[in-house]
Amino acid sequence: MSAQPATVARLEITVDGRSVHAVPGTYLLKVLQEAGITIPTLCHHKDLTPTGNCRLCTCEIEVRGKKRLVTSCNYPVREPIAVATQSPRVQQHRKLLAEMYLGRWPRVPVIQEVARACGATDAERFRSELTDESPTACILCGHCVKACEEFIQERILDFAGRGIKRHLTMPYGEVDPHCIGCTSCAYVCPTGAIKIVDDLNGPVDPVLIRDHGMKINAEMATLDRSQCCMREVGTANIVDVMDAYDLLPVHNYRFGKHVDTPNIDSKRLRREFFTQKMPDGCWNGCSMACAKTIDGFELRTGPYRGQKVTVDGPEYETAAGAANMGCFDAEFLAEYNFYCDTYGIDTISFATTMAFVMEAYEAGVITKKHTGGKELRFGATSETLAVLHEMAAGSGFGVDVGKGVRWLKEKWVREYGADRAFLQDIGMEVKGLEYSEYVSKESLAQQAGYAMSNKGPQHDEAWLIFMDMVNNQIPSFEDKAEALYYFPLFRTWFGLMGLCKLIWNDVVPADNKKYRPQEAAKVPGHVLNFQKFFEGMTGIPLDEKTMIDQSARVHNLQRIMSYMLGRGTREHDMPPYRAVGPVTREEYESRQDRYDKQLVETVGVDIAGKSTEQKMALLREYREAQYNKVVDAAYERRGWTRNGVPTRERLRELGIDLPEIVAVVKDAW
Amino acid sequence: MILVNDRDRVPWHAGMTVQDLLGAMNYTYVLITVMVDDVLVPQEDYHHREIPDGARVTVFHLAHGG
Ligand code: SF4
Ligand code: SF4
Ligand code: FES
Repeated sequence: MSAQPATVARLEITVDGRSVHAVPGTYLLKVLQEAGITIPTLCHHKDLTPTGNCRLCTCEIEVRGKKRLVTSCNYPVREPIAVATQSPRVQQHRKLLAEMYLGRWPRVPVIQEVARACGATDAERFRSELTDESPTACILCGHCVKACEEFIQERILDFAGRGIKRHLTMPYGEVDPHCIGCTSCAYVCPTGAIKIVDDLNGPVDPVLIRDHGMKINAEMATLDRSQCCMREVGTANIVDVMDAYDLLPVHNYRFGKHVDTPNIDSKRLRREFFTQKMPDGCWNGCSMACAKTIDGFELRTGPYRGQKVTVDGPEYETAAGAANMGCFDAEFLAEYNFYCDTYGIDTISFATTMAFVMEAYEAGVITKKHTGGKELRFGATSETLAVLHEMAAGSGFGVDVGKGVRWLKEKWVREYGADRAFLQDIGMEVKGLEYSEYVSKESLAQQAGYAMSNKGPQHDEAWLIFMDMVNNQIPSFEDKAEALYYFPLFRTWFGLMGLCKLIWNDVVPADNKKYRPQEAAKVPGHVLNFQKFFEGMTGIPLDEKTMIDQSARVHNLQRIMSYMLGRGTREHDMPPYRAVGPVTREEYESRQDRYDKQLVETVGVDIAGKSTEQKMALLREYREAQYNKVVDAAYERRGWTRNGVPTRERLRELGIDLPEIVAVVKDAW
Repeated sequence: MILVNDRDRVPWHAGMTVQDLLGAMNYTYVLITVMVDDVLVPQEDYHHREIPDGARVTVFHLAHGG
């Protein structure tokens, strides 16, 4: 993860005789602007690294009795200084420069404006054969070069030549085929020297789309390195976070952290594995470029053993899946990632199924006799890869594992006489889909988010944990129900529109902190971006209600389809108890303080003299009742019956009460 | 005593800063917003902003990923 920003107290500096406070390390220009002082600039852009090219922002500073001129845009304030923004020396310096610019580009509006601000009126003094009369001339400010590099991590544009011959160019003076046409350069150009000549897909309002897209580009360039480091490590950063908050699934979701997590966390992957940290082509021109790869990875097993390959990943869920299987081994992680991708197997379903198999093996539900001689304990890396290869080849125990947790439970009960209740508790699936890789035990909203999902407990649904468990920002059942209404529908909306979710909350606008937590969680600035993308493309303005209603229509139709398939009622929204609380004694005792505290302070029982088993039973009774209450509240908010079926009124409200749809569900009303 | 997120009680000590509290809670996340008695504390002030005894502190983690 990133370093925290400077954390020492603010500095006091003097500006034109008055006292101003500055966060150490902040560029002087920013400090001055925040204090309401206007400084002329030409090459400065708020979202790009300053270059100090034009020198118009010059100020005079005094440090320890010595005065000198500095360019304020790239001068970091680190000690108490006295600043003169309008001294005669400064004014003279700026005026001279502005006159030179005016002589060279006399008709460019930004030059005229800055010349006026600096008192430069003589356009003739520096007129020469270099003078360019175009009002859209390139003034060599460098914004475009920086935007290409910092917004989207390309280097298509650059300057060539020195002194008066300096000019902007693409490599070898030719149009570079690597230019993806993102228009970032044109967007930041202050003169209009770069023109956009094509708008693909014929959007109704390309400018609206561009304006909001560029906001994201700028945030990626300026904020990502101090937020989620998506460009550096992608979603693997979440491994570190989840371990720190006891939310990383370990040993089939029994625990939330492990001493060996550093073997597979994002620091290790960044340090020793990821080789490609650049735009990845996942989406041409995406400024987040979060997909990471490992090049030259030598495989140790399987049909490609000994070959060097490129591994696309690992991403969070894949790495967390390794933790869930107890395989804290980065080489294993890369290998299982590669082979799952190559075989077309979902890493999440594979890992969650294997974690279940491993727990069942250790509990004696299955033995070597059933696994084809493989000792499938947690952490069994070679054996796990062997199962993966079998699964792809359609042979041995791998065939069974490939059918998933639900199927395995049935078979083991039917054929091996296994304890159905135990397997139901530890088999992490709902509606036949394996859980994604987050521990939901301490977040009621997350338990419901997973288990009530139409598709099953998949990773789209995994963001209520912090809101609920850590922030305590949705304490009542109604609050949770509201979150369970808004967030799944909002997420459904991205999918419907073919938009990526990551630019919603994997980078967050600097001013998001101005909102109260309930609103801040929605990242209002980014919700607006999505609404504007829609409006720019279709010409139809969108507000939050319309957006959520668009999703709600699809979401309710999905629910009705689930109902048709026999999975759309309450009993199919019930999670395995492992997702809700501790199933085993060992699990309870590993977090005994937490569970005891809940029993005493929240449930109000006297635990003195009670055995772990007795306490587990009390806790289970309480947590299952809580879960059912949250489901009741969420159904009500969604306009569903107590059995989880959309009501006639709800279908009518959404305009989807068509006779053929009503016919499907009316027997449930 | 400090009340964090309307739920967790954390012992107070003289000179306790926002950063001390985050350390005590093991809150290491980057997308955090802190409010002390409903007033937002800028991140650059965490190390020197002292929390008064009896304060109500909101430590808001913004979700990401998934
Ligand atoms: S359109 Fe994008 S990729 Fe092409 S030169 Fe401009 S900033 Fe670079
Ligand atoms: S093309 Fe525009 S942005 Fe690029 S250097 Fe010239 S004036 Fe600046
Ligand atoms: S704005 Fe500072 S040198 Fe150009």
